[in-house]
Amino acid sequence: MNYVFPSTLAEAVDILAANAGRARVIAGGTDLAPMFRDGKIDASVLVDITRIAGLGEIEIGDEWIVVGAAVTFAMLRDTPYFRERVPALAQAAASVGAAPIQAMATWLGNIAQAMPAADGGIVAVALEAEALVEDPAGSRWVPVETLYKGAKTSSLDSTRQLLSHLRFPRPRAGWASSWQRSGRRPSLTLPILNCAVTLRLAPLATPQAQAATAGLATTQAHAAPAMLAAPQAPAASAPAAAPEGAAPFATIASATIALGPVATLPFRARGVEAFLAGKTPDNYVIEEAAALATSECHPRSNPLRASGDYRSALIPTLVGKALREARDRAIATMVREQQ
Amino acid sequence: MEKARVEFVLNGKAAWVESDPRKPLLRVLREDLGLTGTKQGCDLEGECGACTVIVDGVALRSCLLPVGKIAGRSVTTIEGMGSREAPHPLQTAFLEAGAVQCGFCTPGMLLSAKALLDRNPHPTKEAIVTALEGNLCRCTGYVKIIEAVQSAAELMGGEARTPASEARTQETIPDPAASAMGREFSGIGGSPERHKGWERVSGEALFAEDISMPNLHYMSVVRSPHFHARVDALDVAPALEVPGVLRVLTAADIPGENGLADYSLDEHLLAPVSGRVRMLGDPVALVVATSREAATQGAKALRVDYTPLPHRTEIDRALEAEAIPIHDGGNLLAEDEVGTGDIEGALGESEVVVQSKYITSFQAHMAIEREAAVAYIDEEGRVAVICANHEPHWDRSSLSKILGLPEGKIRVITPPIGGSFGGKQDIWPMAAAALAAYHLRLPVQLAYTRREVMDAAPKRHPYKCDCVVGATREGELTGMKFDALINKGAYDSAGRYVPNYAVTAAVGPYRWKATKARARSIYSNGPKAGQFRGFGTPQAAFAMECSLDELCEKLGADPLEFRLRNALRENDVSGLGFRVAESLDYVKVLEALAPDYHEASLGVAAFNAEAKPGLRRGLGFAGMWYRFGKFGRPLSQAEIELGLDGSFTIYASGADYGQGIETVFTQLAAERLGVSREALRLVNADTAHTLDGDVTGASRNTYWVGGGVTDAARGLRAAILDAAASLLDQAADTLTLRDDRVSSPRGELSLARIAQELEARGIPRRVKGTIDLRDVFPDNERTGLYLPMFVTGACLAQVEVEIETGLTRVISVSSAHDVGRVINRRGAEGQIEGSIVMGMGSVLMEEFIPGLSTGFSDYMIPTMRSTPDIRVHLVETPSRYGPFGVKGLGEAAMLATAPAMVNAISRAIGLRIRRMPATAERILAAIRGEKTTE
Ligand code: FES
Ligand code: FES
Repeated sequence: MNYVFPSTLAEAVDILAANAGRARVIAGGTDLAPMFRDGKIDASVLVDITRIAGLGEIEIGDEWIVVGAAVTFAMLRDTPYFRERVPALAQAAASVGAAPIQAMATWLGNIAQAMPAADGGIVAVALEAEALVEDPAGSRWVPVETLYKGAKTSSLDSTRQLLSHLRFPRPRAGWASSWQRSGRRPSLTLPILNCAVTLRLAPLATPQAQAATAGLATTQAHAAPAMLAAPQAPAASAPAAAPEGAAPFATIASATIALGPVATLPFRARGVEAFLAGKTPDNYVIEEAAALATSECHPRSNPLRASGDYRSALIPTLVGKALREARDRAIATMVREQQ
Repeated sequence: MEKARVEFVLNGKAAWVESDPRKPLLRVLREDLGLTGTKQGCDLEGECGACTVIVDGVALRSCLLPVGKIAGRSVTTIEGMGSREAPHPLQTAFLEAGAVQCGFCTPGMLLSAKALLDRNPHPTKEAIVTALEGNLCRCTGYVKIIEAVQSAAELMGGEARTPASEARTQETIPDPAASAMGREFSGIGGSPERHKGWERVSGEALFAEDISMPNLHYMSVVRSPHFHARVDALDVAPALEVPGVLRVLTAADIPGENGLADYSLDEHLLAPVSGRVRMLGDPVALVVATSREAATQGAKALRVDYTPLPHRTEIDRALEAEAIPIHDGGNLLAEDEVGTGDIEGALGESEVVVQSKYITSFQAHMAIEREAAVAYIDEEGRVAVICANHEPHWDRSSLSKILGLPEGKIRVITPPIGGSFGGKQDIWPMAAAALAAYHLRLPVQLAYTRREVMDAAPKRHPYKCDCVVGATREGELTGMKFDALINKGAYDSAGRYVPNYAVTAAVGPYRWKATKARARSIYSNGPKAGQFRGFGTPQAAFAMECSLDELCEKLGADPLEFRLRNALRENDVSGLGFRVAESLDYVKVLEALAPDYHEASLGVAAFNAEAKPGLRRGLGFAGMWYRFGKFGRPLSQAEIELGLDGSFTIYASGADYGQGIETVFTQLAAERLGVSREALRLVNADTAHTLDGDVTGASRNTYWVGGGVTDAARGLRAAILDAAASLLDQAADTLTLRDDRVSSPRGELSLARIAQELEARGIPRRVKGTIDLRDVFPDNERTGLYLPMFVTGACLAQVEVEIETGLTRVISVSSAHDVGRVINRRGAEGQIEGSIVMGMGSVLMEEFIPGLSTGFSDYMIPTMRSTPDIRVHLVETPSRYGPFGVKGLGEAAMLATAPAMVNAISRAIGLRIRRMPATAERILAAIRGEKTTE
């Protein structure tokens, strides 16, 4: 058994190729270690990619944000830009196990393991992230969603291929994200339900329409039905922060909603996404969207965690919360942009 | 396995190992480098944090780190943290704060804390929780760990520092009797450091799995994969073919009785061929080999043919004729009933009656240390076994029956124990290891996997309780009826006593006109249920204290006033039909909570009036009594010896599984002798050296064994002063006994000199002390085996429920307990805090599902993040007979917690929850008016 630290990606790919299926990539190792214990991984070479120059970096470019394969959840969690502009990512990272796990486990490793409800996978799917697949044929970006083949099965061949980077579009004004999660205890546990949402709002064309939407968003935040009246602090503060008459209210250009564990793969609620496109992000629309999400998902029961019924009951609550939070954040970025 | 050389820096020094690079660093440290301070609590799956080490400044799980990964890195383990001479401030702070109970989680906790403080010298509480929430502790409730980290941060920051012990204000209700006793006993009532504390903060303490011996062999257990099956045949040959396997032991190899003696009357040590297995994990054979791996492989290779039989893990219809029989004698193991007065009359005349059904689940102890034992043949040819236990002498007598050896040929040694909560009273691990050493004449280690702990170690009994309580419109209690079906699981494991505990707890410290309480222990194919903190009482207290809360709501009565009005007084005849035999002041306990209760009531009302959307708070109250000292003789003994070198050694038998009894022994002895604790050594719970302390469950250690220790100290002091008086020609009462000498106005003598004098005069230097209450508690028909000694307590809990999800958070808890006399303040607080957080786990999340629960990943216990604000009130109503007025505490603190929290949830949502755990799912179902699946 060899344990090697290649110093370049090319070297890593070569080692995999040279060992013809007897080598295996390891990053953080948190998922692999229990498999070693159970003798589930039979490899003669372990290729540790965490010391390859550059893979431990996060690059915030103009178009794309690029994250290397050795970047841990702790780094994602602690990156100020993510806390500020991609809170769904920072919070999903903070949900993985607990700090000592976050310090080891990598985002890309989480995706390569293809667990249907892994926090890293759910948020990557919602961000419509792409992964850079490296193999002897070269490297190419593929949507993260396409890497999921079935329950715990990745389309990646980890004896031959590796994921070196992950990228997703840098958020613009009007784009925002939210992360919601429910578990049997507040930390160190798999989710009963997790949910990542992104919203892209587009400014409305006319000042009149803007004013109308402004009225809608503010009044409805207060007049919302009791069932939906979850904490509204950001909602109240965002429109209030907008200068009188100049509120940049908007329609939904597009939305993404990813949920787990409600299917064998990270689930995109595409019906809800389509429903939201072009609509005004008011609380009635959000309530309708949240209810729609329930009908799209068919979560299973696990007696140790939660029944399918309970998960279904949580879906509208979590999706609704996430959409409202993302909406308020998106509006806040538009207000900032205008000022 | 192919090996590779891995070089790294270990505790500041260059190190290397030749190892399979996939091997977890944890195992490399423990097995290849002999550094056993790093612990393993789960099955190497990252779920417990006991294995935390620091790698390049970051706290990581060493069980998840393939050793190949650490090439060139710098690793710090607990062994590198500080020395006895120069301890790390965190080590000091942990000891001062009382943050160490069993000490099994401590190394990992300390390293997580060190990595935090190195990076962030002034952490907020939130930062501490974030850094430490991945480290599970089952003993402390985390309160004192947080305090210790805060206090170490202050110390390291060089700031003026509040000693951790004073970080929170603690009030004690002044008690005239206690002040009459005065506070002249230095050390008693204070918060001295844990006995052998340094060993537990330095990784030096050797828990059973840490013990290495030349030629140590390993054992693996072949266990039933079925809930219920007949064993048709066993083929051991394939196991013996595995290289390294030495021997397979089956039922046929048991020289004495194939059972667990008194501990479990109907349980085999190993299921015999043509016998039955009755639960998952039921043991069938033992495989002994030269390595762990070989033993495991051997166990896998061994072939057992089973005929599966129908099974059930439920007991609802188990007493009906067509029910699946688990044992030949039927499904009822035991039954008990108490009653007073005319119950139907009392209920009939009641103006308000509440009738309801309360249900609980199997729960697991989840001590962070897994069951482990090492057995060997000692220098005197005895079969010696080092294994966690509660009563070494009792266990020795059981082993003698199993091995067919006289007791003198057996020795039971108690190592440091990484948490028990009653679970490690199971003698199976000890007996299995002893059997292997007996046959092989070699040292053999047995260590359960976490999965084995889940399947095969005892659990808490699930109850189904039918309760009826009545009162007059004015709020005076009338009658109570209680009928509990207790799921015993597959075997007795002391479950024959549980019905009595259940009915006793159910009656509670109240003035009833009539009572009728019955409980039945019934077999199922669930895991054997056994002792677990409170032993059958928390479930009954939950049912009854919630029923009383329902009654209060119906009456519109204040729950505290209501209990005060109906509280049993010391001279009342209880609902059990007799008077209690120890002091009892439930009223004082209830009153101790009154200020907190009124404060919290206002807080909850204000919160709910603000009508925060989606959030509701509730306040819940519960009381309890607990019979401490259970069965066993009302007699206990211990010894103290003055060595020829003038040193003192206590010989006692009271296992310390984290509750701190060893600290208490040294305090009591120091106090009575009049010397400092530093002058005392302690030999504890080793049958080769110590007298029988009798059963130590049921929180009886301080009272009983402590009574023996105190008496021995009195006797030895008198002997020393006598001898000194005559040597110095002085009256004994003019002499002062110090740590190493006796002094008088006319001169002084070393204790060594006095020891020689005693020796010369033929006066024993080893003095036996006894607490003997046989006159006080003559067995009588009504109390039977059980001593009518009770402590009382009460609990107040504030919770917050998220209405849309049912998610519940416990915000604050106040708890008051009558401890008789505070011996070790921080120790007592720590017991209560630990019980509160454990009780919170049982309310919110803990549910063992037979065959499905595998370990810490799916049986969830509270993490540091869930710890509520806790206030502890220690009430002192001195006992009549215990040393210095003490009573028992360790278990009592469990009882009122859960019902207080469940009452709080019910009051928050305005609907009754009658099921534990009250998971978010069950709470939401109640809110939505859905029928639950039960
Ligand atoms: S042994 Fe490493 S986390 Fe449990
Ligand atoms: S002291 Fe933490 S587990 Fe015992």
